[in-house]
Amino acid sequence: MKRLRAVIVLMCAALALRAADAPKVFPYAYDLHDLPNGLRLIAVQTSFPNVVSLYIVIQVGSRNEVEPGKSGFAHLFEHMMFRGTKRFPPAKYEAVLKEAGAASNAYTSDDLTVYHATFSKEDLEPILDMEADRFQNLEYTQAQFRTEALAVLGEYNKNSSSPMQKLNEVYRDASFTRHTYKHTTMGFLKDIKDMPNQYEYSRQFFDRYYRPEFATILVVGDVQTAGVRNLVEKYWGSWQRGSFQPRIPEEPPPAGPRDAEISWPSPTLPWVLVAYRGSAYSDTDQDQAALDIISFIGFSESSELYKKLVITEQKVDLFGADNPDRIDPYLFSVVARVKNPRDIEYVRDAILEEFRTFLDQPVPADRLEAVKSHLRYQFALSLNSSEAIAARLARYVGLRRTPETINQLYEIYRQLTPEDIREVARKYFVDRGRTIVTLHGGIGK
Amino acid sequence: MKKLLLVVPLLLLACGRQASDRPRFVELPDSSPLVSFRLVFLTGAASDPPGKEGLAGLTASMLAEGGTRDRPYSEIVDAMFPMATSVSAQVDKEMTTFSAVTHRDNLDRFHALFRSMLLEPGWRPEDLTRLRDQNVNFLRVSLRGDNDEELGKEVLYNAIYASHPYGHNNAGTVRGLNAITMEDMKQFYAAHYTRANLIVGIGGGYPRDFPGRLRKDFEALPEGERSEVELPNPTPISGVRVRMVEKDTRSVAYSIGYPIDVKRGDPDYLPLLVMQSYFGQHRTSAGRLFTRMREERGLNYGDYAYIEYFPRGMFQLEPDPNLARRQQIFQIWIRPVEPETAQFALRLALFELDKLVKDGLTAEDLEHSRKFLTKYVNLLLRTKQAELGYAVDSVYYGIPDFATYVKEGLAKLTVEDVNRAIRTHLRTDRLQIVAVTPRAKSLADRLVGGRPSPISYNSPKPAEILGEDKIVAGWPIPIDSKALEIVPVEQVFE
Repeated sequence: MKRLRAVIVLMCAALALRAADAPKVFPYAYDLHDLPNGLRLIAVQTSFPNVVSLYIVIQVGSRNEVEPGKSGFAHLFEHMMFRGTKRFPPAKYEAVLKEAGAASNAYTSDDLTVYHATFSKEDLEPILDMEADRFQNLEYTQAQFRTEALAVLGEYNKNSSSPMQKLNEVYRDASFTRHTYKHTTMGFLKDIKDMPNQYEYSRQFFDRYYRPEFATILVVGDVQTAGVRNLVEKYWGSWQRGSFQPRIPEEPPPAGPRDAEISWPSPTLPWVLVAYRGSAYSDTDQDQAALDIISFIGFSESSELYKKLVITEQKVDLFGADNPDRIDPYLFSVVARVKNPRDIEYVRDAILEEFRTFLDQPVPADRLEAVKSHLRYQFALSLNSSEAIAARLARYVGLRRTPETINQLYEIYRQLTPEDIREVARKYFVDRGRTIVTLHGGIGK
Repeated sequence: MKKLLLVVPLLLLACGRQASDRPRFVELPDSSPLVSFRLVFLTGAASDPPGKEGLAGLTASMLAEGGTRDRPYSEIVDAMFPMATSVSAQVDKEMTTFSAVTHRDNLDRFHALFRSMLLEPGWRPEDLTRLRDQNVNFLRVSLRGDNDEELGKEVLYNAIYASHPYGHNNAGTVRGLNAITMEDMKQFYAAHYTRANLIVGIGGGYPRDFPGRLRKDFEALPEGERSEVELPNPTPISGVRVRMVEKDTRSVAYSIGYPIDVKRGDPDYLPLLVMQSYFGQHRTSAGRLFTRMREERGLNYGDYAYIEYFPRGMFQLEPDPNLARRQQIFQIWIRPVEPETAQFALRLALFELDKLVKDGLTAEDLEHSRKFLTKYVNLLLRTKQAELGYAVDSVYYGIPDFATYVKEGLAKLTVEDVNRAIRTHLRTDRLQIVAVTPRAKSLADRLVGGRPSPISYNSPKPAEILGEDKIVAGWPIPIDSKALEIVPVEQVFE
């Protein structure tokens, strides 16, 4: 027995050594610094010359829209953040960015809202100053609010011509009962139309969430990290901590299976979507990492099913899986655009059959290694500019507020075995967690 | 042909090689672990033979997404997958671009695959069937169905360039795609994929001898001759023409424009670039159109203007390189507006254009745009792929590297230069309007009728806006009903 324990200890030591020897997937050194008010700064010096990317990540998204009638509000609020302050009214704000030659924008997702700008390094201080003012002293009138709400309706309108937007709305609605992932980040159309009447709530939203304890500032590029730290303390140190604790409704265990049908008003090809209730993001448990790997083995371009449906049989022309990282358990989905309406059931059944294979047999070891290699190189190839590095970091920082989560996640990928993957598949690919949505579009040969 | 002679001496400077030593190379080495490839053949959809529209696009698809002589496509995908790389093809009127990025760990393996994809295509019938379907569905389903803004932009080009080599979509037409045979593709490949037509862009952390290996690869291609399609001038537009694409959709997407005789490298290019930045800088909140239409009035999600082709603008903040053309148009992009305010929105856009032409920019406007563009040009080049792409475009246009060209040119510009260029090239009276719209007849009647279209708001507006609205509500757009056509969406791109 003693001898066995010694062997185990040695094995563990060998594993630990291998883990330590493996180069980190996120290869850059960074300065992670917490201000007393709860704001976190992550500064990364890169070798790309002259340019700096500033990403301000707020851990609020459509997941936080818990009150009825308020779906889409995190996104609307992202728009309001461009309505200025006393010091920097919108025209002056835009003029500063314009003089800096900045490329700037913002986006909102389920769990986070991100404001970003990329510019020449000499403009870092004036932009940090201006952004600090906006996050602390945003001001807008009711009239401005009502006008901006119309721009959000315009955004809904421009997206609404895509059947994918409708599929997204319907499968989330069908898959969740209580959790706010039930609605998309754009929100329900009826709520968007009512947005102009929600001025008071918008002030409350700002007061709750635009606080330093929800915020992480990423500065990535041709910078000295010590200097960045001084600037952020200078301009952002006075931001007052808040006290709001969001309570997100917990989703009960799934009670499916569920089905939904969509009849699309204008001609398009049919779509089939098969989803299972999935996992939350984790850099300690293996579930989400294993589901990621399944999404590649089962449903990526190099999967057997893709080859069958797209390349050999040619019954499908668009095909793929999605297993996004979310704070709370989300959805693993596979979607196919079917060339001939007669093949809808065939394609649906082929997808379901592929899910079943993960329950029955461990994945081939060589396929697993190919996916692990793919994930590592995919990440390395994505770090091709300071902006790309900041953009990649922002999504992880929205979940865990540290770049280290990336290294931990990739270490889990590295350790996963075929047996681990079968175990996770058996846990998640169950009938009661399944949603199938079919969109009929009236054309196809 | 005259233009070609001008290009050649600059290439010698850029590449330091003999003119006969084709293909031309753009090399941008650095110490990155990544290696970027950007290969541009100077051929594209403008070279599609009549009746075979889509041939350039389908041929490029066969190389980037088809098998090679020795490997079926699925084996190529399998070989690429552990390296997390793939080859992308972009086809425009006069350029076909193959791009890829690989990690230097995998350079030799990737190079062997890439080489065989470009030089030893498999021409498999099953690939042709799959890719033909893919391209037909892109036109018939994705472009017609999923994205009204892109649909409007592409229909605008079709309308302006009717009976012209630019007159069909880069993916072709449904009829053209269905007529293409394997033999057509082999012939197109043999005639256009030549050393004379090729510019090889390579960047990143490759070994010093790597460009030499690439050069040897491309000896397999015929020398050929630079194949430049003869381009007539687009038919002049008389009056205001309207093409309405009718479909069951929520809102109205507009694209408006006309040809301009200005391209990169021409004396008026930089003055018009300043104008574009002031009037409609892409996807920023600083442009005049954006401010007046969206910020002040909440009419839609955004409003922009361009002097060069800019596809996929709804998904990206910067243009892709290697869409270089000898002929360009000026265009305004109005993102979808509610049907009730559609007439007002069109009037406001043309009112702003009229104001631009009459008043021009102030010296202060010029200074703001000059400062912006002088720095922004660095951002356009922030990835190796972009840097390579712009360098290739500079070879095509016969100009210095893009950042130098823009910075040095802008430094010399006066407000008179800008306003003279605006007056010379922009106008409001002869233009093509495209509207992707529900209930087209109703909008058509309103536009032709020309009655006032007052607007009301959900909140108080400043007196200045309300005063301007009175003018805009009755702004004349002289549309003759004979110059207005309604096309069911099912007929577009057929």
